[in-house]
Amino acid sequence: MQVKSRLRAPMWVWGAAAVVAVGGIAAAVMSMRTSEEPIASGPSVTRRLTAEQYQNIIQDVFGSDIDLGGRFEPDLRVDGLFAVGASHVSVTAAGMEQYDAMGRAVAGQVVDANHRDMLMPCKPASAEQPDEQCAQEFLGKVGRLLHRRPLTDQQLQAYVTAATQATQITKSFYDGVALSLSAMLSAPDFLFREEVVEPDPDHPGSYRLDAYSKASQLSFFLWNSAPDSKLLAAAEEGELHSKRGLARQVERMMGSPRLESGMRAFFEDQLRFDEFETLAKDSALFPKFSAQVADDAREQTLRTILDVVFTRDSDYREIFTTKKTFLTPELGSIYRVPIYNDGPNGSPDQWQPYEFAADDPQTGILTQIAFTALHSPAGRGSPTIRGKAVREIALCQKVPAPPGDVDFTQFELASASPTSTARERLGVHASVPSCAGCHKIMDPIGLALENFDGSGEFRTMEGNARIDPSGEIDGIKYEDANGLGNAIYRNPAAVSCIVDRLSARALGRTTSSGERGWLKDLKDDFADNGYRLSALMREIALSRALYSVSAPAREPAQQQVAAASSADR
Amino acid sequence: MRNLTTRRRMLRGMLGGAAVSVGLPFLDCFLNTNGTALASGAPLPVVFGSWFQNLGLNPGRWKPSAVGKGYQNNVELVVLDAYRERMNVISGTKYFLDGRPLETHVSGVQIATMGSIPAGVSSDPSLDTTIADVIGDKTRFKSVEISLSGGRQSLSRRKGGAINPSEPSPAALYARVFGPEFKDPNAAEFTPDTQVLARRSVLTAVADERRDIMKRVGAADRARLDEYFTAVRQIEQQLDLEMQKPAPLKDCSIPRAVPEAEVGRNVAAVERNNKLFAELLAHAVACGQTRVFNVNFGTQGLRTPGGVRDWHSLTHEEPIDPKLGYQRDVTWFINFATGTFARFLDTLDSYREGGGTVLDRTLILWQTDHGYARTHTMDDLPILTVGNAGGRIKTGMHLVATGDPSTRVGLTVQQAFGVALNSWGRLSNATSKPLTEMLA
Amino acid sequence: MAAFTRCSAPLLFAVAAFGCASQAGAETRHYAVSWFAQATYSNDHDCSHGVHPEVEQIYLRYAERLGATPAQIATWRRKQMEGEDVRDLDELMMNRGRIDGQPVNPYTQPAAVVDLQMPGLDGKYAFGFNLDGKGADDPNAFEDPETHERGVDHQLYRALGCTRAFRGSLESRPTYYAWAWGQLKDSQPAWVITVSGDDLSKDGPVSVSIERALEYLRSNSDGTPRFDMAYRIDPDPRSRNTYRGEVKNGVVSITEHGKLRLLQNPLVAPELELSNVHLRLALKPDRSARGFMGGYQPWHPIYFGIAGVGFGGEQQVTGDVPGFYHLMKRYADADPDPVTGQNRAISVTYYLEAVPAFVRPADATQQLTSR
Repeated sequence: MQVKSRLRAPMWVWGAAAVVAVGGIAAAVMSMRTSEEPIASGPSVTRRLTAEQYQNIIQDVFGSDIDLGGRFEPDLRVDGLFAVGASHVSVTAAGMEQYDAMGRAVAGQVVDANHRDMLMPCKPASAEQPDEQCAQEFLGKVGRLLHRRPLTDQQLQAYVTAATQATQITKSFYDGVALSLSAMLSAPDFLFREEVVEPDPDHPGSYRLDAYSKASQLSFFLWNSAPDSKLLAAAEEGELHSKRGLARQVERMMGSPRLESGMRAFFEDQLRFDEFETLAKDSALFPKFSAQVADDAREQTLRTILDVVFTRDSDYREIFTTKKTFLTPELGSIYRVPIYNDGPNGSPDQWQPYEFAADDPQTGILTQIAFTALHSPAGRGSPTIRGKAVREIALCQKVPAPPGDVDFTQFELASASPTSTARERLGVHASVPSCAGCHKIMDPIGLALENFDGSGEFRTMEGNARIDPSGEIDGIKYEDANGLGNAIYRNPAAVSCIVDRLSARALGRTTSSGERGWLKDLKDDFADNGYRLSALMREIALSRALYSVSAPAREPAQQQVAAASSADR
Repeated sequence: MRNLTTRRRMLRGMLGGAAVSVGLPFLDCFLNTNGTALASGAPLPVVFGSWFQNLGLNPGRWKPSAVGKGYQNNVELVVLDAYRERMNVISGTKYFLDGRPLETHVSGVQIATMGSIPAGVSSDPSLDTTIADVIGDKTRFKSVEISLSGGRQSLSRRKGGAINPSEPSPAALYARVFGPEFKDPNAAEFTPDTQVLARRSVLTAVADERRDIMKRVGAADRARLDEYFTAVRQIEQQLDLEMQKPAPLKDCSIPRAVPEAEVGRNVAAVERNNKLFAELLAHAVACGQTRVFNVNFGTQGLRTPGGVRDWHSLTHEEPIDPKLGYQRDVTWFINFATGTFARFLDTLDSYREGGGTVLDRTLILWQTDHGYARTHTMDDLPILTVGNAGGRIKTGMHLVATGDPSTRVGLTVQQAFGVALNSWGRLSNATSKPLTEMLA
Repeated sequence: MAAFTRCSAPLLFAVAAFGCASQAGAETRHYAVSWFAQATYSNDHDCSHGVHPEVEQIYLRYAERLGATPAQIATWRRKQMEGEDVRDLDELMMNRGRIDGQPVNPYTQPAAVVDLQMPGLDGKYAFGFNLDGKGADDPNAFEDPETHERGVDHQLYRALGCTRAFRGSLESRPTYYAWAWGQLKDSQPAWVITVSGDDLSKDGPVSVSIERALEYLRSNSDGTPRFDMAYRIDPDPRSRNTYRGEVKNGVVSITEHGKLRLLQNPLVAPELELSNVHLRLALKPDRSARGFMGGYQPWHPIYFGIAGVGFGGEQQVTGDVPGFYHLMKRYADADPDPVTGQNRAISVTYYLEAVPAFVRPADATQQLTSR
């Protein structure tokens, strides 16, 4: 069973990674402030796979040319992240129909003539008859990767029986195996990430994830996908329960180009890029905006961030101040900078690095289209929406919802006047006491971004009035968007935000009160490490807290007894 | 109510290498008292039809002024007033070219039917084929393509570019559907699909092992997984239903033979063939022969008796009448085509079955290639839906989707028929937003 | 954006002054041409002998001249009216040229087709310029409907302006040109106009360049031309033209009326050649540009460009094709053949619109792309 890896690193990278790994293990162990103190953990969670994780796993196990052909149940955002909402959602009947259809579509392709030689380790004795041995070999191999742990004998037998019976009905070995595989792809063991818990022998009285659950925890955090064969093997050997063994795997995974997938998945979640799906712009007011621009803008911001945190492994906070970005010709037209293609007429558009001048208002991700256009209504910009988004996304601060009886006519009437700017119209908020309380924490931030219209394009005038982009946040005043980026850079909430969210992503839940000490240590170490995201991720991955759970509702031993006497079918 | 254990035993009895063809008796308890629907609530099978007519309508003369429910038809759609409560008018949408060259009277058709302009030879499937894949699997004809103005090319294409040929002659369609190979559906032996049998057996085989997870997770997670298992049970029930012989088609009657007739590029032939085709389709649907049909009205070369120019040439050549404000002869053709559509609907609606008519369980999607043919505009397109697909679509509305891709309508229709789609179309014609006001 | 200039160089590219102010006070604007077609001003008073009838009627006239009997013609006319096929007439028309009595392709051999003497346009107004300085007092001379200049030379308008497919206004574009532009704009390399002067908001001398880019004109997702895209100038010397000009009240004109040569495309014409080039280009407040370009153009390439549509195109987008040959020959007004005296060029005015663009100057060291 090959696992096709999408990104192959050349040999020298592995060599370098090994050197880094040894040093990294030592550094990791030394840079962690504490690892032996008792931890009061949170509960174990059962998380449903996100759409992207499902796709990644199929790609990892079966290759990237498998067509999924279905639609996913929507993910749920809880406490700012889909990664946390995953532990709250289930599967509806309509969703189950889709998973069933997708499972059959994938399985059908895996066994078809184009793929079976590559993906199946054996051939049946006859293509029209059941072949239990071959079915067992294939389903066992694939099941280990899909269930993220080896199948039990009973599970494997059930799948083999299913394949055999289906083959008897359809008179085709491959159809039978495909139907059994499709059942595997809609099984709860595949769709849900169950945390198997066991007593922690190193800390009597405490509980930890079992080896395979540790592997999943680590793999979904760093690579946003199921554990690969190497990681499962390490789990099997018990290596993940030792500090050294865990560190070895962490270094391997952090040194891989696949780390980028994990980082991408986090930022897409944190930046709420799913909102692009419902983004619409008035085509008369913003003719340059299009689905292609939206896609490019999303990718631009991700590339900008990854350049800071992955390629250059630099200070995370620079994402708010960097002048370096990547553009396509379509984006160039909105940013009003020339981005030339290479190649003859009709060549596809290419991504190109671009650096804005030091005094250019384009500063960091908050001035990019994926922020300014995403957080605006269809026909205009919105300082309030953008200010709220800065609070929620960059600083992880909650803004209360507006009262139900808000009267927007003041704002709308005034917007008919050609001499008013948003600043003047929003002045209404400041004058009404019931509005001012919340709006003063949003509007001043967003007003700095008023130079960027609803599609993200720069303008100096609004109608006949010149825009004044000065603002303030938490006491720091600034002249324009440049200053806003710097203010966020210096705001301590930006650091707590990323630490809180990254750990919540890893855990699949927000941290419990007992884990506050751990969070504080993470924050202090983050600062000491120059705010490098890789260091933070490494520390989370190596933390005992990531793999500890509070006592389960029933003791595992009691659960066995309960099962034996259960007559619920 | 059925006993689950009995069903499982029935299946297990069949599994050990049993014969494929099984004549299961039809279980009367499934019919409701009217004999019109299955007792489990499954309605009579829904039907999808598409009607494509080139050369658009006149701007300013088709769009209703009121928005939402209770709109009034504008002058070029008044002929459809009898169906106003059962149809929807969608205005404001566009076809996006994304930098590709405009092939007049072609690009718009491609986007309307496939959601995209093909890049090269291979193309996306047209939406009637994705719907037929879901609802047309059990009928003798997956879909029926008709060409009202002659021609063998339909707009129905499978993935990869294979085009379903269309029938220009009513007599030939009669022979094809009701000729010697026609089997009375009420007399048929029922053969459950082996795929359905196999899927059901697999679900049974893995059911016990799957439930094991409930023993291991905490109480809160058990509640969520309960939802999962409820959902699985619904799939099992769905499969059980599909293994049943379908309800008898009481209202199926075989039409009289249709005489050979001229295939038309003049309006008289089109008028005559329209009635013949509509009658044949109504019979075919009622007799369970098909659940998807595609009508290409076609306008190439269509002329009036005594007229020198055909409809298309007139759209470019005829000057706008200064008193009327529109092209007089072009508008005659527009009215003729829309009138033909109205009479098509009349015929479907006069075929009674169960407590209603064939039109009651049908949804017809009406589209065109340009907003305004004279200047080949690709925006403010008129799109209509007629019928509520057995209750899946809400009707009687004028919906405005200014600047949105036209594919929003195609996506809505496909989702209503159960096609597994998150989004439809490509590039700027891609959308994942159905018209939720239309979905029941 | 007067507050600052975007002069930061993209990483990896050599630093050069791309549209940045390098000389003190110099201002340069680049435009990508987003519409280019003959300038028409069709109205109800411009064809006193009537707009040319539909091509089906013209076919019957040819048939008569080629010897068809009145009965035959009446039969064809009836069949046309009733929408029946007239395949024999079609075949006769597809080969209506005659050389030594033998039928020949009328589109490639238009001189071999009988001249039906269709009337030209004789209205008062036509967009354009007085190219030869003469005719201002001639009562039959054209007057430009916008500038009211008299003695405007636009003979191509006389030749084609009474055929339906070539009639229209600047907004409601003639069928033929709308079709041709629609076919080409998303693939043919864009034309770029560059205007530089000290301060384009004030009257003064300017330099005007008209060149060809390597890439096609980029559009928004709804087909309208996209502002602010970036184009690379094609270094091919066949498409580089620069003139002295002036800007007055925001309108740029060429004062040194040289020759223009631009590579075009095989569908319309391989090249656009104009001599005695005149330009009137208004720079609009929304940053786009709009105006007229006139001059004398060789008419044979114009004919063969239209003729390419063949028999099918005659009925859909152009009208009687060999008829255009005779009309252009009749109205041609410049560059007489030294032997025959027949004028080989015809005065023409084109209407154009253009959108603001970034432009990278041609680099002589760049490899030429093959054609």
